[in-house]
Formats: sequence, structure tokens, C-alpha cells
Amino acid sequence: MSRTATHLTRILALIPWVIAHPGSSVDDVCARFGYESTRDLLRDLDLVFVCGLPGYGPGDLMVAYVEDDQVIVDMADYFASAPNLTAAESLALLAAGMTVLASGQGSDELGSAVDKLGRALLPDADEMLFVDMDAEPELAETLRKAAVEGRVVEIEYTGLARGEHTVRDVEPWTVYASMGNWYVSAHCRRAGGERVFRLDRVRRATVRDETFVPPSPRPEPPIGYVATEDDVVATIELRRGALWVLEYYRLEVVERSEDSAVVRFSTYEPLVAAQLLLRLGPNATLLDGPQVAAALATLRTSLLTRYAAF
Amino acid sequence: MKNVLERLLNLLAFLLTVGRSVSADEIRQTVAGYDPEADEAFRRMFERDKDLLRKMGIPLETTPPSGNRPEVTYRIDPDKYGVPDPDLTEEERAALWFASQVVRIGGRTTEQGSFLKLGGAISSEALEPLSADLGEEADVLADMYEAVSGRRKIRLHYGGRERTVAPHGLGHRRGHWYLVGVERGETKVFRVDRMQQVAVIDETFDRDPSITVAAELEGHPWETGNEPVVTTTVRVDPDLAWWAERRLGRSAPTIERQDDGGVLLTLDVANPDAFVGWVLGFGTSAEVISPPEMRERIVTRIRGDE
Repeated sequence: MSRTATHLTRILALIPWVIAHPGSSVDDVCARFGYESTRDLLRDLDLVFVCGLPGYGPGDLMVAYVEDDQVIVDMADYFASAPNLTAAESLALLAAGMTVLASGQGSDELGSAVDKLGRALLPDADEMLFVDMDAEPELAETLRKAAVEGRVVEIEYTGLARGEHTVRDVEPWTVYASMGNWYVSAHCRRAGGERVFRLDRVRRATVRDETFVPPSPRPEPPIGYVATEDDVVATIELRRGALWVLEYYRLEVVERSEDSAVVRFSTYEPLVAAQLLLRLGPNATLLDGPQVAAALATLRTSLLTRYAAF
Repeated sequence: MKNVLERLLNLLAFLLTVGRSVSADEIRQTVAGYDPEADEAFRRMFERDKDLLRKMGIPLETTPPSGNRPEVTYRIDPDKYGVPDPDLTEEERAALWFASQVVRIGGRTTEQGSFLKLGGAISSEALEPLSADLGEEADVLADMYEAVSGRRKIRLHYGGRERTVAPHGLGHRRGHWYLVGVERGETKVFRVDRMQQVAVIDETFDRDPSITVAAELEGHPWETGNEPVVTTTVRVDPDLAWWAERRLGRSAPTIERQDDGGVLLTLDVANPDAFVGWVLGFGTSAEVISPPEMRERIVTRIRGDE
């Protein structure tokens, strides 16, 4: 929303609230409606005071002022409620509530909030809107707690590509869900850098006594893969049906049209890219990347051997 | 800024109280803040104002000219203007605020504006390190939500042809948004990011109350599809058997443990494409055992000669 729209929304939300809550203090109104200073609130009240109905005489204008630290608004019955939510706002609120509930993190209050909001905004919300999120894995709670307390965690992890098991010490930062999977972002002491681990691939997590100081501010959880210096790079063309990869992985988009994209995909493990190419099938083509091409050939051979399909 | 805000407040006050549809000219002559003289300047200003109000969610309706009214007229229905009061307690509002801050759609969290409309913001406290992202397509989603809630049909290009669909609901699963709709009497599931040339059309429909999004979308990706169900057996080797069990735990398909520590899974597949992708995710640690058609399908994908 533009600054004007946000500002106008604030005024149109404030008027009905103050009318419905007579005697509210300046501090309360400022905190609730995001005014940084009393002066900003007074400026908006002054503005309301000179607006109203045609004629624009004393009986036509709204009344808005502060007296004895109380905010007073009157003569504004036509603004008896705040403007309705937009479709995008309604969807975002309901979906956010449903997501947290589905993850198993929701409180009773959130449950009743989503119920009430659904009833008010979208009759039959239960039938019409649905968010499926895997319930948070058991490890999430352990890792989140360790992240908050700044405790080092030893994890046993199975890499996505090779299925190799490693045991490593990590400094967990954030537990998050993206594209339907749960992850923890962390500083990995074994790799010496930021890494993202899929929680369902963490077989075991043991919290150590050792503590660490988390970076401040905590880095935003990356969506998808985080590149490192040792990465190999592949140039891949994605066509419709494979374009979800753009959202799923963090990669460099070289060219983009409505139906296709050329991307540079970097990975520390060529097999990750090879496996992805195989999954995408006819919707993707490897344009360049000798290591990935070699990994793809090897993967094909081992799979075809397994299926005895030569 | 001050002048713009005053003008918009006056315009809204006028339209909410006038009780009829009014022309642009009447607005210009009546509402304080517009210049009654300068034609071109007024037109530009009024266009901008209309656009801004609509983006805020204010239902400014337009009536085209008709026999006895030669001009376009405008009105705001006071009954449609206000946000319905969900009557939330402070605790409920706080819980919803927290949810809206950790869940993003396309990288964006809920704008503060929604909470102002619901009675003010919550002072933000330090949040726990948790977040979720529900994927892109935020703009199309808003249109789809409007179509679903307004029971209006949509026209779209999907799977190579144009369709008209009665949208019954929206759902998010495993990283993607889906629209559940009825096309020519059949219930179908469309992936929102694969829709093209989507338009909400001026045709309403009656909801079929037996259709719920959850029922259409629940389950694993390979269970949601439009093809006949094929019972398929997959063997997963010991190194990733624990992972397969963990992934499948919720819906408990037939899992048969084998002596070497591997597992044999029996799954109902209605979406072979999604299934092939899932099996290939195990690399060389999984193999489709039966039926032969499904083996053939996966071998074709591995060879890359589709």
C-alpha cells in the first residue's frame, strides 16, 4: 500500500475505535495505532477536525481533540467502523492463522481467533480454505529452544543427495517451514559456514552444554539452498511445470520469460542438481555444467542397473 | 499529503451519507478539496483517488450511464464499507498477530493495515525463531480468494485449454496453492501457479456444500490427481527406510518391514508424475517393485526420453 493509503487507513481505523472506547488515553491510542509521538496523533486529529460533510460548517465537521489526556472524536457516525479488509488481507490473515494451527504451534486463543475471523469474513471458511502443514516434527521444539538459549546442538544428518550420514555440531538460528518442509538454519561448525538442514533428515539431535552467541539480528531464514564457495555451478533451462524451482531454490535467474527461465544453480554436491534434473524430467534441460552432467550420467546408470533396464 | 487526506476523508464522508449514486461532476461541485474549475486536473485527481480507495478495500461502485442518467455515477454502500467485527478478545488478537508475523505469503508478512482495521496493532515483542512461507503468487491468490468468497466463476487457461470453473475453495499443501473447482459437473484440483490468463467473470454460482477443500487436498501429493488409482509397491533400502517411515507416518499406508532393515511400501497412486518425483527423491535407495506400468514409467523418466 502507498504511504497515503496506509495513513488514511490508520485514520479511518482510529476514528471508530476511539468512538467505541470513550475515555481512552493518548498513550493507549498512540501505542495501538502506531503513532510514534503525541504530536503525530494531534496532527491527525487536527486533520479530522477540518473534515466532514458538505456545508463544512461547525455542525457538519467532525470533532476530534485531546482533553485531560483523553482522546475525543465525535460527529463521525458515518465512520462507525473501519474499512473492510481487502481480499488479500483476509486471505493472508486466515491462512496465517491456519498455518500455525496446522503446525501444531497454535494456542487455544489462536484457534478461537481463526474461528471467529472465519465466521466474520468468509462463511463456510472451513470448507473453502485449507492449509496443510506437516505437524512440526518433534525435533523442532528441541532445536528452537536451543536457538533461543544459544546452545550448541550435535545432530546426526543424512544428506539429501548421497544419503550419507554425518554427525556435526551446529549453532541453530531459526526453525522454519517453507514449501511444505521444516528446516533449521544454523552455523555448521563442520562446514564452517551457514547451512540449512531439513528436519526430517535429522535423525537425532543432542543439545550440548556449550553455548554460542547468535548473530544479531538473527539472519532471515533463507528459502532453499545457500551457496558456498566450493560449489559447482550448472546452467539449467526450466520450462512450465518446472518453474516452481525458482521459488524453492535460491538460484541466479539468467533469463526469464513467462513460460521458461534459464538459471544458474549452484550446489556443493553435483548429485543434488542431477537428482533434481531427473525429477523434473522433460520440463528441464541441463545447458552447461560438466560435473552435474557427469553426476547425472552416473545416477542414470546406477538407477537403470537397479531396474535391470539395459 | 495533508490536502490529499482531507479531500479523501471528505469524499468518503459524502459518499457514505449521500444515499444515492452521484456523478463525478456533482462530487467536484460538492466535496471540499476538489477544484471546481480545472477540468483536466480534477479528472486526474479523481482517478487517483478512486484507485487508492479501491486498493484499500473500499467498495466504490460504478454505475454505467443509462437512459435517464447520461453519466457514470459512483456510490459506496454503507453496509459493505465496514469491516465485520469478529469480536476478538485481546488474547485472540495477540495470537493472530503472532501468526501473521511468522507466516509469509511470497515473502511478505501481513501488512499492519489489516490489524489497524481490526482495532489497532499489537506492540511487537521479540518473536521466537519460527517462520513459515506459503509460496508466491500473492496477487493471483487474492483474486481467487475474491472469486471463492463472492461465489463468482473464473475463466482460465490450464493444461492446454480454456476452462470455466466454479471455484469452491483454496488450499495450500506442500509448498503450493491449489484451487478446488467444479468444471462441467466434475470436481477438479488446479495448481494456482500453473494457471494462465485467469479472470474472474461476472457469473455467480451456488456452492455445492458437499465439496470441501480439505477432502480434496488431504493426503500425499501422489494421492491428489485425476488419474485412476493404481496400487503401487516400493522397496526402500535400510539406509533411508527410517526416513520413508517418518514421511509416511501420518497417513499410515501399508509398511512392511523386511529382514535386512528395509521396508516395502504399498501406496495408492492417483498422480503418477508426483509419485515418480517422490521415488526419485530417494536416489538409488528405492525401487518401484510393481506394477510393471509404474516401473516402466519411472524407467522412462530415468532414461530421459519422454
